Amino acid sequence: MLFNAFSNPKIGKWIIPGTGIVWFLGCFLLQIQHGLEIETAAADSLVFGVIVIVSLSVIQSMFSYFLPKKENLGQLVGIPLMLSVLGVVGHRYLLSWWFSEESEYLDFLRITFYLRLAVLAGVEVLSAVLALLASKLQDQEQLNQRESQMLQLSKDAELAQLRQQLQPHFLFNSLNSINALVGSQPQKAREMVLQLSEFLRGTIRRDSQSWISLSEELNYLRMYLDIERVRFGHRLLVDFQVEEGAEAVKLPQLLIQPLVENAIKHGLYGLTGEVKIEVSGKREGNYFVLEVKNPFDPESTPAEGTGFGLSSVGRRLFLLFGRTDLLESGADGTQFKVKLKIPQFQ
Amino acid sequence: MIRTIIIDDEPLAAGIVQEYLSDFAQFQVLEVCQDGFQGMKAIQQHKPDLIFLDVQMPKITGFEMLELLDEPPAVIFTTAFDQYALKAFDAKAMDYLLKPFSQARFKQAIDRFLDSFGNEHKAEATDSERNLLAEKSNRLVVRVKNDIKIIPVQEVNFFEAEDDYVTIHTSGGKYLKKMTMKTLEESLDAGKFARVHRSFIINLNGITGIEPYERDAYLVKLRGGERIPVSKTGYARLRQVLGL
Repeated sequence: MLFNAFSNPKIGKWIIPGTGIVWFLGCFLLQIQHGLEIETAAADSLVFGVIVIVSLSVIQSMFSYFLPKKENLGQLVGIPLMLSVLGVVGHRYLLSWWFSEESEYLDFLRITFYLRLAVLAGVEVLSAVLALLASKLQDQEQLNQRESQMLQLSKDAELAQLRQQLQPHFLFNSLNSINALVGSQPQKAREMVLQLSEFLRGTIRRDSQSWISLSEELNYLRMYLDIERVRFGHRLLVDFQVEEGAEAVKLPQLLIQPLVENAIKHGLYGLTGEVKIEVSGKREGNYFVLEVKNPFDPESTPAEGTGFGLSSVGRRLFLLFGRTDLLESGADGTQFKVKLKIPQFQ
Repeated sequence: MIRTIIIDDEPLAAGIVQEYLSDFAQFQVLEVCQDGFQGMKAIQQHKPDLIFLDVQMPKITGFEMLELLDEPPAVIFTTAFDQYALKAFDAKAMDYLLKPFSQARFKQAIDRFLDSFGNEHKAEATDSERNLLAEKSNRLVVRVKNDIKIIPVQEVNFFEAEDDYVTIHTSGGKYLKKMTMKTLEESLDAGKFARVHRSFIINLNGITGIEPYERDAYLVKLRGGERIPVSKTGYARLRQVLGL
């Protein structure tokens, strides 16, 4: 609707009637000043005001929904011009008929005909242009809104997908371990079923947007490690070192686990014998800094690329914070180190 | 007695194979190994009739371990990954058990093995066609006497065909591996390696120059000073990948 893009819709719908009233008053005063009688001036201005309201409404409804293409952009001027000629001619005939006895007024009508036409045409062309601009602006705004909604949706979807990316082999290998335990140690099998369920429940948590406390995330991590320890037995050692008082730190869910999973994969599949994974966390300025270290063999190239885990965490950090400098990784002798920085807003 | 070895890095996973296998009195488990290194040594030592082999294991995969054996025994793969099934089939595996597997499915695999067991010729036939399905890989696993060496492909200067074997030339030494040039060529990144001759594949990174040799023949100079012959088709291929 005309002007809605500029002001709020409630006021917007009074703009055209308001213009009509102002138009009426303006004409009325000018004509009184000119020496016309009150009755004549009122009738003349009233008809003129109504014509303005009608033509503006026509123009508004036309150009709010119909956008002239480049080749018939002339319509933008042509239609208002036609309407104003129609309006001024109509006005003249109606009032000539109404006040046919007053020759003085009839002269006034004749003299002011072109002036009226020029003013009315000017206003109508201008309003047609405004209506067009307004509807274009509105379209643009809607488009932007839709686009940002789409972007947000796809971002959410990607985040959810990244968060829930569970390595399927982890699940199948765990189920295989349970299958083995059922025969030999049924009690342990039951324990592992419960651990696995808890773990899986954590990965499909509903309120994906909310951050959780470090202690919650560490609990979740311990659950995961308990399962891995059942699978790999004595080979896997994990050392946690989290600064005191840091348990209350908040962080996005499931950010640490993929890093530990990555460390385990490269540690356990890159080396034979015992493997010690070190996880440490501390606050540094406005960040919570978490480090995961695993031993690796610099001599042997891993069979697969450098882990989907790292890149997916990096991608999540980018989607969450719009930054690519929050995740660092590199080898230090026979240790592979991943450093994760989580901004703290407080 | 049918002699078997179980190779799996997860003790429980090896345990269930043992448990299932205990129902079959004629089978004897000689050793349970936790990685491909131990596995290879145990196989060479015991010469088992059948092995149960996991794929994802420390250092080298089950497939890489199989490549190192001169006379591989019958293999039943046990893994949680279904994407290796095709490769396992190509490696002439007896069967492919997806973890977790049932006792009934295990029995099926054993029955399949028992059906073919005794038909000695079948096991021998696999030897010459043992080239595994070419899979893009960034490393090669070779046997050096009784040890295993993992060579990242980018460290290879060139490969040279020698009968059923390929000699891998690196700056650190030469290694022999039983495989065909065709499988090797397919497993390598075409943007980094080129087969310039029937018997040679070179690392494009190491090229320092190309010089004419005879009519329609060229020599490629490598960083280490070697000169590798380039055939007519090899030269065309080389020009294409180098964008000359």
